[in-house]
Amino acid sequence: MTVELSSKRHAIEDLTDAIEFCHQQGWTDGLPVVPPTPDRVLAMLEAVRLAPDHQVAYIAHRAVAVTAEKVAVNAVMAGCTPAYMPVVVAAIEGIGDPAWSYHGPGTSTAGAGVLIVVNGPVARELDINAGDNLFGPGWRANLTIGRAVRLVMRNVCGSRPGTLDRGTLGHPGKLSYVIAENELDSPWPPLHVERGFRADQSAVTVMAAEAPHQFYNQLSRTAEGVLTTLADDMRISGNVMGQTQYLVILAGEHMRTIARDGWSKARIRHFVWEHTQNSHAHLKRTHRMAGEILPGDETRMRPLVETPDDILVVAAGGRAGAFSAYVPGWGSKRSSQAVTKEVKR
Amino acid sequence: MIELLDPTVQPGPAPQPVAYAPRPGSLAGKRVGLVENTKFNSDRLLQKIGDLLRAEHGAGETRMWRKHNSSVPAHDAIIQELRATCDVMVAGIGD
Repeated sequence: MTVELSSKRHAIEDLTDAIEFCHQQGWTDGLPVVPPTPDRVLAMLEAVRLAPDHQVAYIAHRAVAVTAEKVAVNAVMAGCTPAYMPVVVAAIEGIGDPAWSYHGPGTSTAGAGVLIVVNGPVARELDINAGDNLFGPGWRANLTIGRAVRLVMRNVCGSRPGTLDRGTLGHPGKLSYVIAENELDSPWPPLHVERGFRADQSAVTVMAAEAPHQFYNQLSRTAEGVLTTLADDMRISGNVMGQTQYLVILAGEHMRTIARDGWSKARIRHFVWEHTQNSHAHLKRTHRMAGEILPGDETRMRPLVETPDDILVVAAGGRAGAFSAYVPGWGSKRSSQAVTKEVKR
Repeated sequence: MIELLDPTVQPGPAPQPVAYAPRPGSLAGKRVGLVENTKFNSDRLLQKIGDLLRAEHGAGETRMWRKHNSSVPAHDAIIQELRATCDVMVAGIGD
């Protein structure tokens, strides 16, 4: 079968020119890209057995169809191997889901990255990092899969900085923001299983997200101690009033401390939800909530997130070091929600 | 010689033209719909505009709708109600 590629073709003299040409066309994120030659693009498509015109996602608010061919071209440019392509495709399906609601996180001044959590066997097979230096650098899969997603957003969906990507500050995760869950060492069910998949399936969860915040607790020997610190750090973070979703990432030492006390992810979620509430008085005093302080505001509490289930919990990060992290979601849960898609292979 | 494939979406056929509703010659007595996007003060800004349209242009009643959130188009129920109950509408953003 002959596969017909429909992208416009550009003829370039040599390799150096090709890299420079891509910069000049405005196709890159500022770093050099792998020139997207037809043979490389075809190899990407073969890895997912998709026709070039297969619609991976439709971004309704932009009236843009994202085809497998365009995902493949951008995945080549990002430096992906063909083996990564199924993960990239699943992530694009995720940001095309109405619940993720592309236009907000793809455009907003609040500057969301696409946080991608990979679960299941594919994470180990592709060596997607779940350990030391979780957020980078050092792992090709982590850095190129997220980069491919961002290049698709730029080149296909129109999210170009300065035009339809109006991030005031942005953050480094907008280059690539991919982690895997440390399922081998984790005492808990992995994220994708909690979200309805089997453990032997692979899946990606995409969440519109701010940068990660690291917190320290080098004193506690108890789950309650570690999570008290987390909650205190988290209570005023992100869009405070927006009630976004959060991802909590428990790294080696904290993971083992909490596991030793026998706490489930559900108990962690509930504890953190309960201990990240702010009084209306505090929110008003600190100019986050509008209005005068009223009688009762000192004890009238507003949860940081609507429900405990809005706190996603994963085990990931290095074995050593009494640090963990949380990631505030973008905007509000009303505007965008984390979405999980199966990685089809 | 190297051949590269373009990663961007080439412009397709011209999109379906958008037909704008005819502009009324006068706002006198017209029912005004206001669609606010949930951001701080967008309701106050739009209400002020509605009040000015009534005071200075003789517009009739005003009625306000609130979108689900600022990042999505107005949902269908708003569009249907607007169509049924208003002559003109104003949408805006407040931040």
